[in-house]
Amino acid sequence: MNTQDKVKINQLPTGVPGLDDIVGGGLPEFSFNIIAGAPGSGKTTLAHQFVFANATPERPALYFTVLGESAIKMLRYQQQYTFFDPTMLSDSIRFINLSQVVLEKDLGAVLEQITKEVEKFNPAVVVVDSFRTMVRKPESDMDLQSFIQRLALFLASWQATTFLIGEYAEDELRDNPIFTVADGLFWLRQTAERNSIVRKLQIVKLRGQDSVPGLHTFRITDAGVQAFSRTFGLTGQARNPPSHRRLTFGIPALDEMLGGGVREGDSVLIAGSSGTGKSVLATQFIAEGIRHGEPGIVAVFEERPQAYAERAVSLGLDLETPQKDGKLKILYLRPLDLSVDETMHSILDAVQKIGAKRLVIDSLAGFEMALSPGFRADFRESLYRMIFALTGIGVTILSTVEVDESFTEFPFSTYSISFLTDDIIRLRYVSIDGQLRKILVVIKMRGGNHAKDIREYEITSKGVVILGKRLTNYQGLISGIPVHSDRPELEEEPLQEPGIDSNK
Amino acid sequence: MTAAPGMRDLAHRLHNYEADAGKTSEPMESPTLRVYEKLRQSLGEFVGVAGFQSLASRALTLAKPEAPSLSAAQVAADGSLQGLGKIETQIDMDKDQAGEGGIILIARLLGLLRTFLGEALTLTLLRNAWPGEVFDDRNSVHGRKA
Repeated sequence: MNTQDKVKINQLPTGVPGLDDIVGGGLPEFSFNIIAGAPGSGKTTLAHQFVFANATPERPALYFTVLGESAIKMLRYQQQYTFFDPTMLSDSIRFINLSQVVLEKDLGAVLEQITKEVEKFNPAVVVVDSFRTMVRKPESDMDLQSFIQRLALFLASWQATTFLIGEYAEDELRDNPIFTVADGLFWLRQTAERNSIVRKLQIVKLRGQDSVPGLHTFRITDAGVQAFSRTFGLTGQARNPPSHRRLTFGIPALDEMLGGGVREGDSVLIAGSSGTGKSVLATQFIAEGIRHGEPGIVAVFEERPQAYAERAVSLGLDLETPQKDGKLKILYLRPLDLSVDETMHSILDAVQKIGAKRLVIDSLAGFEMALSPGFRADFRESLYRMIFALTGIGVTILSTVEVDESFTEFPFSTYSISFLTDDIIRLRYVSIDGQLRKILVVIKMRGGNHAKDIREYEITSKGVVILGKRLTNYQGLISGIPVHSDRPELEEEPLQEPGIDSNK
Repeated sequence: MTAAPGMRDLAHRLHNYEADAGKTSEPMESPTLRVYEKLRQSLGEFVGVAGFQSLASRALTLAKPEAPSLSAAQVAADGSLQGLGKIETQIDMDKDQAGEGGIILIARLLGLLRTFLGEALTLTLLRNAWPGEVFDDRNSVHGRKA
């Protein structure tokens, strides 16, 4: 059978931001789905979003309420969400209460009632909420599988896409005939981790198309459920080919040490202890990009955007104007219980809005602290996914990380993440001639040659300024306690790499 | 506390609309009962029999102090209103009082809906029950175009 012979399964929008990507483009039309989870996990809200996204006067949605939350209260609360359009209740969405039938009759009568309403209204979408409550009656157990199969068969024949909503615990997943019949199984979880609540959803099963496996975080806001795909919505998107373009800091001596600048699409790590100028370098990197017409994003976790911009003024850098011009966005990401996926969503959204080429994450420690405790355990893995996704679309990422200053070691990061970075610049204090001075060294550049020099620098009103030539008359500089040597200063050799084209 | 003026006005319009519509039916039903039954039918589908019964009971309890003519009225287990028909078919002088009592009851019921669902959703649900022009502001107080 060739591709042309195969039936095309239409995909319906879920109405849940982020969920279409997770389910592989949209929900298969005429599928029979179950939304399962504990009370309060967002099942009804998710179903409502699907209903409001797909119901039309010609093909309305039938929303059967059974036992459980009263219809009045359900609508009282659901109408608070922004997706809730009350005008759709006049011709596109019908709420039908089945509680009387369930209480007084058997599953056969329930099926009969649903059949009658479906034949009457010809719906495109059918929801039964909560389906679980009507199969809890002990005498119903024998009929359950038959009921579900007949319901699924009938609704598919009538070309309805269906959701059954049920309260289920994790251990009920196995050997349950209901789940066998379903085409799609959406599992919503809500777990407490220390003082934080983390919501995750999993597409346990979805027939007919590839969904993104794993647990995806989601949040319920005024806009309803919002899902954050583990692949950050970049599934199937081709990675940008490696670039040979170099992005400069606007600090000539440093750019020279970097062989002309960092390579576009690289992940750069600036490591150093408190006060060594990591944020200053990061700010200069962003400002230089804007000067070259490259929009930028700064994700800050430890200070407010206003304070960040004001500090830049003290370095002679104007971050206010590019913000007004839409060339720069400073994101303050400090809600409680943040997940990396949500952070990524905010960053990606901003990247796409302003076409950002440079991204500063200031700092990784602040980022980690903003995460819910449960996500901190996966911080390395999350960073890997995030960096891979962003550099894949051509964004150059500069992250700052604070390292504990040690006079016996020379660590690059407390996160063991140096493997995630293409380039590492290390800043540190050093004791020279009775002064605490600062040195800078390029540790690693994956994309090319770089200087091996250890250079002294200062932070002035112009930002980071690299002083003089490399420090040749000291031994043990990276220990922080160098020893003066009598070796004469060497002539400095310029770093050369053919074919480098900075910021062009 | 009395029924909100807006809800009273709305109840009045529904009552008058059904009074006009009822003139063609035999035997003539009480307009209040016609309004009530339409609400029971429409809301019952949505909130269930028990849901409607509890709302109607609450509305009747709230309405009784304002309208002594409702003292004999009761909401049955199936949500139907009992004891109102007798009152509304009494002598003419009482009929006005009984009609007013019915309007207060309907106003209270609509008021509860507005409290729980808000005005927009309440009107949407009412439009489902009265698909015609009764809610058109350009209409006369009788709910019919002049």
